[in-house]
Amino acid sequence: MSLIKGGHNFSVVSTSTRWISSHYMKADLIVNLDKRSYDNHIDHLSEGGVMVYNSDIKGDMDGIGISLTSEAKKYPNPNLMLGVGAIAILGATIGVNKTELNALIKNEYSKGVKENISYANIIYDIVYPIIGGKFQLEGGSKKRPNILGNQAIALGAIAGGLDCYYAYPMTPATSILHYLAAIADDFGLAVIHPENEIAVINMAIGSTFTGARTMVGSSGGGFALMAEGISLGGIIESPVLIILSMRPGPATGVPTYTEQGDLNFALNAGHGEFLRIVASPGTIEEAFFLTAQMLDLVWKFQTPGILLTEKHLSESSMTVDINLNDTIWAEPLLHKDGEYKRYFDTEDGISPLLFPPAKEILKWNSYEHDEFGFTTEDPRWIKRMHDKRNKKFKSLENYLMKKKTVNIFGDKGPIIITYGSTVMSVLEALKYGNIEARVVQPIFLSPLPIWVLEKYKDQEVIVIEQSAIGQFANLLKENTNIQLKKVIKQYNGRPFDPIKLSKKIKDAV
Amino acid sequence: MVKLGTSVENTWCLGCGNFGILNAFKKAIVELEEKGISQKNILIASGIGCSAKIFDYLNLSGIYSLHGRDLATIEGIQFVNPNLKTITFSGDGNAMGEGLTHLLFAAKRNADVTIIMHNNGVYALTTGQYTPITERGWKGPSTPKGSVEGPFNAISLVLEAGATFVARSYTAKIQHLTDMIVQAIEHKGFSFLEVLQPCVSYNNTYKLYNDIVEELDDILKSIEEAKLYAKNKHKLFIGIFYRTEKPTFCELLYGDHNPVEKRQYRDERINKIKKILNIE
Ligand SMILES: Cc1ncc(C[n+]2csc(CCOP(=O)(O)OP(=O)(O)O)c2C)c(N)n1
Ligand code: SF4
Ligand SMILES: [Mg+2]
Repeated sequence: MSLIKGGHNFSVVSTSTRWISSHYMKADLIVNLDKRSYDNHIDHLSEGGVMVYNSDIKGDMDGIGISLTSEAKKYPNPNLMLGVGAIAILGATIGVNKTELNALIKNEYSKGVKENISYANIIYDIVYPIIGGKFQLEGGSKKRPNILGNQAIALGAIAGGLDCYYAYPMTPATSILHYLAAIADDFGLAVIHPENEIAVINMAIGSTFTGARTMVGSSGGGFALMAEGISLGGIIESPVLIILSMRPGPATGVPTYTEQGDLNFALNAGHGEFLRIVASPGTIEEAFFLTAQMLDLVWKFQTPGILLTEKHLSESSMTVDINLNDTIWAEPLLHKDGEYKRYFDTEDGISPLLFPPAKEILKWNSYEHDEFGFTTEDPRWIKRMHDKRNKKFKSLENYLMKKKTVNIFGDKGPIIITYGSTVMSVLEALKYGNIEARVVQPIFLSPLPIWVLEKYKDQEVIVIEQSAIGQFANLLKENTNIQLKKVIKQYNGRPFDPIKLSKKIKDAV
Repeated sequence: MVKLGTSVENTWCLGCGNFGILNAFKKAIVELEEKGISQKNILIASGIGCSAKIFDYLNLSGIYSLHGRDLATIEGIQFVNPNLKTITFSGDGNAMGEGLTHLLFAAKRNADVTIIMHNNGVYALTTGQYTPITERGWKGPSTPKGSVEGPFNAISLVLEAGATFVARSYTAKIQHLTDMIVQAIEHKGFSFLEVLQPCVSYNNTYKLYNDIVEELDDILKSIEEAKLYAKNKHKLFIGIFYRTEKPTFCELLYGDHNPVEKRQYRDERINKIKKILNIE
């Protein structure tokens, strides 16, 4: 929720030694600090699960009561310590020893480390004799980093060559701004928070003019303000990459929950006809690589690109396996010699670039223009420049035909088509329900990889998405001959729960 | 030196004040070149309006931007390569209507850019509506009974916002205008140059300006004095109203770093990311 310190806040953690791709709402262990949390989550307790509650809070509660508040009152800021108590309880039940727990607190908390460690140890000692090691976890075979989706996007962009990031805070994209601002100096980046999203997109386009690999990020509302700028990017052929992290709309909607309701908007953002590249990552790992790839694509094809994702991916964290050597480095086509024309009409529609300072004249023009970038109203130039830019539709398709544009999981069973972070929910639901199915995930949405989806022509498929009107299903209907047998939709702001989703899938097949 | 004009047909009305700005700007570029500022380091932008057409008439690199967004565009160029000299041409409607937020914020952050605001008191390209700095009572096609809003005072507004160089000139005084342009571009930090620009078709102010324009003898002493002079209705003062030295946005943000010229290459980045993620 849009909360700072008030209201009800919670985190869900699911863990396993196999790859899991979604959290489960059914929990083996629930730690709650107040009565409201208890009431909200009691139904989420699994069979054999343990509820730990704060015994200093009055109310009718069942489970294991721990005096979290009275123990915390022995320290200067008792209210800020309860969370550490929850971590100590979690640690004790899953088999984290005290040395590990103390190291973890030291790493994660910048303030009051001594008090936090002392408090955590006291809680640990109370809890351990009751449920210590009850859900003992085995260690995995390899150490892997645990990162947020937005962190994957930020780091992927840097690995791909990012020089500059502009954003105005908007959940769920804000943490990209925060993360990049914190590490800007280490990587020599310009990370700038200007007056509004209109400034964001126009500054970003200015920066691309100098050759700076530039990205911006927002959610639906901020993205809407960028629409005119995206159109500018289309005609002046600016390689600007936009991260659109969706939350439920319209308008302010539900800021800290998830949805896939902006697909159509992303595909059509900005007035006029031009190529918009739109891709959506299925997992946090994919978000890392795809961001770098999108940076490369916008530079290769000199047109705005949108990395479409959701709050569910942006603000979930997950253990990932990333081989950094696989990242793509964004490289544009550069002018070599001879007369320079900014909008040189080439066979594939891509005009070589030059950056300032240059002795040649580089003119990027928002008005329709000739090859030099001078304004024109000549009907021949108007048509020719439309054609020149629109050649990039075909060029991009040809280019992408040689790349992976669709992920396919499994090789038998009914076909499920889905995209974005819903892929993670679907994969986990299949595992949970022991369902054999093929999951087809178009990574690219514009252009939609028809050349791959053609394989499923005339076949009956199930579509799963987080949109009330089924925007993704409609996209498939309009562009392919795939038969939609059933569209499973969820639009209550919550990501699919694998247990409930597996039931729905079973019903549908 | 490359020629500064282009072969694009000039479509300004005969007698338009914009010709004065074009001529003075060309002269200023020549002067700057003599002072060691190379033409290839000069980047221009423009909004949309009659004023903005100057983009096509100058053989200089840059971006012909959107209505009201040119200041954000030119800031975007400057922020990633602070070595570039960046200038934008804005109409008064463009700078103070659609683009007002960008104007105030560019001044606030002391972005090292120059804005030349063509003040003709109308939205000329859209046929003569009142602008945010037109006097109350203007009868234009959108305010047939006379505009009921009073005007902003441009100079006083940007001074309040934090501009570090604020000047005014007049298109009929080419030498003065040239000098103001040179000084605005040379100034390190945010430069605001308001140019009194008669529009012969919708707001012909030549006679009025010739009567009441007066050159300041000296730079004014304080922001207060500058505001007082700027608001004088009986005399239209031209010259430098205010000038001060302050660190620029980029200097404060990253010292002498230049994100484009000093960009880190792939291996260096990958190694650092490995350290962050604690992986091999
Ligand atoms: C977003 C947007 N709104 C409106 C317009 C239409 N428009 C073009 S020029 C102009 C006004 C120009 O006035 P000003 O900036 O004072 O320039 P001038 O023509 O007087 O030099 C307007 C409103 C536009 N191009 N874009
Ligand atoms: S309408 Fe006015 S501003 Fe536009 S070109 Fe004609 S005289 Fe100049
Ligand atoms: Mg005007």
